Amino acid sequence: MRRPMVSSPLLSLEGVGKTFPNGTVALAHVDLAITRGKVHGLLGANGAGKSTLIKILAGALPPSGGTMRWQGETVRWQAPRDPRRAGIATIYQHIPLVPTLSAFENIVLDATGWCRNSRQDRERVARIVASLGDRFDLDALVADLPIGARQMVAIAQALAGGAELVVMDEPTASLTGDERETIYATIRRLAHEEDKAILFVSHFLDEIVALTDEVTVLRDGRVVLHAATVTLEEATIAQAIAGRAVTAIERTPRRAGAIEPRLRVENLASSGKLAPANFTLHSGEIIGIAGTLGSGRSELLQAIFGADPKATGSVTLDGVPVGRFPDETVRAGLALVPEDRATQGYVPQFTLAENIALVRRGPFINSAAEHAAAEAAIDRLAIKAPGPDALVTELSGGNAQKAVLAKWLTPATRVLLLDEPTAGIDIGARTDILRLVRSLADDGLPVILVSSEFDELLAIADRILVIRDGRLVGEVDPHTTTETDLTLMAGGTLRAPAGVAA
Amino acid sequence: MMTNHDWRRRFGLREAGVYYALLILLGVLAAIASSRGLPPYLSAENLGNIAYQASLVGIMGVAMTVVLITGAFDLSVGSVAALSAAVLVGLAGSIGFVPAAIAALCTAAAIGLINGAIVQFVGINAFIVTLGTLTAVRGLVLILTDGRSLMVANPTVLAHMLAFESTRVPIFWASLVIAIGIVFIGIRQHRLATIAAGAVISGLALAGGSALAVAIPVIYLAAFTLVMWAVLRFTVIGRRLYAVGGNAEAARLSGINVHAYKLGAFLLSGIAAGFAGVLFGCRLGALNPTALQGTELTVIAAAILGGTSLFGGAGSVVKTVVGALLLFTLTNGFNILNLGANFQGLIEGVVVVAAAAIYTVGGERRRARRPSADTAPDALPITEGAPA
Repeated sequence: MRRPMVSSPLLSLEGVGKTFPNGTVALAHVDLAITRGKVHGLLGANGAGKSTLIKILAGALPPSGGTMRWQGETVRWQAPRDPRRAGIATIYQHIPLVPTLSAFENIVLDATGWCRNSRQDRERVARIVASLGDRFDLDALVADLPIGARQMVAIAQALAGGAELVVMDEPTASLTGDERETIYATIRRLAHEEDKAILFVSHFLDEIVALTDEVTVLRDGRVVLHAATVTLEEATIAQAIAGRAVTAIERTPRRAGAIEPRLRVENLASSGKLAPANFTLHSGEIIGIAGTLGSGRSELLQAIFGADPKATGSVTLDGVPVGRFPDETVRAGLALVPEDRATQGYVPQFTLAENIALVRRGPFINSAAEHAAAEAAIDRLAIKAPGPDALVTELSGGNAQKAVLAKWLTPATRVLLLDEPTAGIDIGARTDILRLVRSLADDGLPVILVSSEFDELLAIADRILVIRDGRLVGEVDPHTTTETDLTLMAGGTLRAPAGVAA
Repeated sequence: MMTNHDWRRRFGLREAGVYYALLILLGVLAAIASSRGLPPYLSAENLGNIAYQASLVGIMGVAMTVVLITGAFDLSVGSVAALSAAVLVGLAGSIGFVPAAIAALCTAAAIGLINGAIVQFVGINAFIVTLGTLTAVRGLVLILTDGRSLMVANPTVLAHMLAFESTRVPIFWASLVIAIGIVFIGIRQHRLATIAAGAVISGLALAGGSALAVAIPVIYLAAFTLVMWAVLRFTVIGRRLYAVGGNAEAARLSGINVHAYKLGAFLLSGIAAGFAGVLFGCRLGALNPTALQGTELTVIAAAILGGTSLFGGAGSVVKTVVGALLLFTLTNGFNILNLGANFQGLIEGVVVVAAAAIYTVGGERRRARRPSADTAPDALPITEGAPA
């Protein structure tokens, strides 16, 4: 066996692929080399394969092809503890720490032995924490620490476990500006002084450019760009992420000017989440909201819909306030398709017909009418289901999403709010949903569409508002804008200071 | 038309297990009784007795099922029933039966509202809140009674109360007519389960003979069950109760006032416990302050036997009542057949755990055969197989 040389990569992937049993190809063919002393940036749009790749590295998913070498030796992880033992630590976006234990106990959580609080461990951990550069109280409960310090605890935990490679999945998405700077400093120090390898996953182009030494961009499960960061510009990276427009539907031609104003949003804000927003939605108009995860796009829709009890400001539909709670706004004619269909969209114990009938009123259940409505929805949205009586959890993601959308397709709906209606669903279902939304708008229904698939926004929106850090930062005309521009605006250099207060 | 797998699901252990268990238990007890030369077990009198003994737990169980469907929990029902009985017995002598009963129901409703308001608006877990009210309300009973037994002294009021509780109602013809009606509905709708249910009811009525009569609490239980079953089955309110328990966030974002439904369930539970307490107070016209202790556990056991999920979103009031009947049939069988009362607790506990195991394992198997909606974006829907 070849002896690993100093300059050889710490971890290398050759032709790694992942095909799920149902035929979905998440990763087609990925080559990746991660070396010591460098921060490696990994980018890609939603569904490009980043999460799958991280799961493979962390041992949570087995690859279905290709080879993985760790320090020159071929490895096959059986379980998440294998890469941890070898020296790969993965820090997920939602940091899995035990909030009821102290920072110190979280850091040594995977330590073995009998003694709960040995002095040896304490000294070792104290040294690691000192090397991070940002001090926090080791005996504070994790629940009491600010979110930035929790990231530090997670990093310290990784290092205490002997990690040589630290994989960080969007570590800065929920941090404020100062906390981000602290994390950046720590990451640089780890790579350049402690000689660790860092794989840094992010949506934010500016931090990728500022922080990383080399960049890999994934698209459709393939590496489409790999280069040293100094040779790249943000625009080049954005181009690589977006790629040629793999748009599901054609761009609609510019339509006649919007007609009458319907939904007026004035000074709508929510403390700490949303800066005051103002805009007007016209009949038959689709406003696209372009923003990355955590940009405040979902919070904006929730505030309009009355689902955020802390929201202030006014929302009026045809001059009448819509109300402050979802039951009032629904009565006023607002409809929200939420971001996460499984936790917010459908009732898992219910059938397709029952879920579609969820918003029906009236004293009695009218089974015949509900069945007919469900059959009509199955036809109209091309839902693949055994019938109206199928449990909604039996359906695939795209079809369950169509069911969540279908419940609002009643004459009572006067404004449609869509939060990532096409997330995690296949291209066919996506096209169906976008076509339907376009045709609803053509019939006069005003629509607000949030999506991180900017090509969708460009294809069907009449105008696009860009949101970043809880603030609407600009409005663009989809007919004169490219996906690259939009990616730059939503995640690029124009970033406003974080931590917006209302 | 029912497809084959529908048919197998409807009659599978998970869906219909509690009915089988009751029928098998009745059959076994009848066989033992006849083999020992005891009087026939399935007599009208004995079946009526079982139903009578199960009526209070059944009434509370129906309301408990509604609470469980909304994803909450109510441990306080036993104490609330005792408090209601104490209010009734304490006041009836001075203000008369009907005003005292109304006062008792209002007291119980108020405690239900307090439970619900603390759970919903302070956000404390329902288990903890009602564990607290379980203890506190029992303490209130002790304070009100000063730790002594209460009695109604006024003989006219006492007679009124006894009449309210122990009147016997002949039900042979009524139950036969209802059973035949159910069979006809089943035939018209091609629903084998309905036909079977009607056949079983008419069989039991015929076994009981034309002298079949039950105490009036059984009628109250039947009426309450029927109303709640209809509300859950046929009204939008019923569906929203299930939706609130199945996925509160989805319900909220569909414009359902989640607070109102959860609060309403607690209110119903309080009123049902209050009514059970009124019946209990009327039974003897007297109340021991430690009465009905531990009833809440029997009530919850009945709901679990009936397959109600402790996580909300699923449950059937009819099956809860059958679960209560099952528990009291066990008790009754041990007494009548003299099978050793010491074994009773052990057997009951095993039955409850076994039932929960059947529901859990059956549920897992069904889930395992079905791709989760969000991990299999392109998978074709797979029809569910037969449960265990």
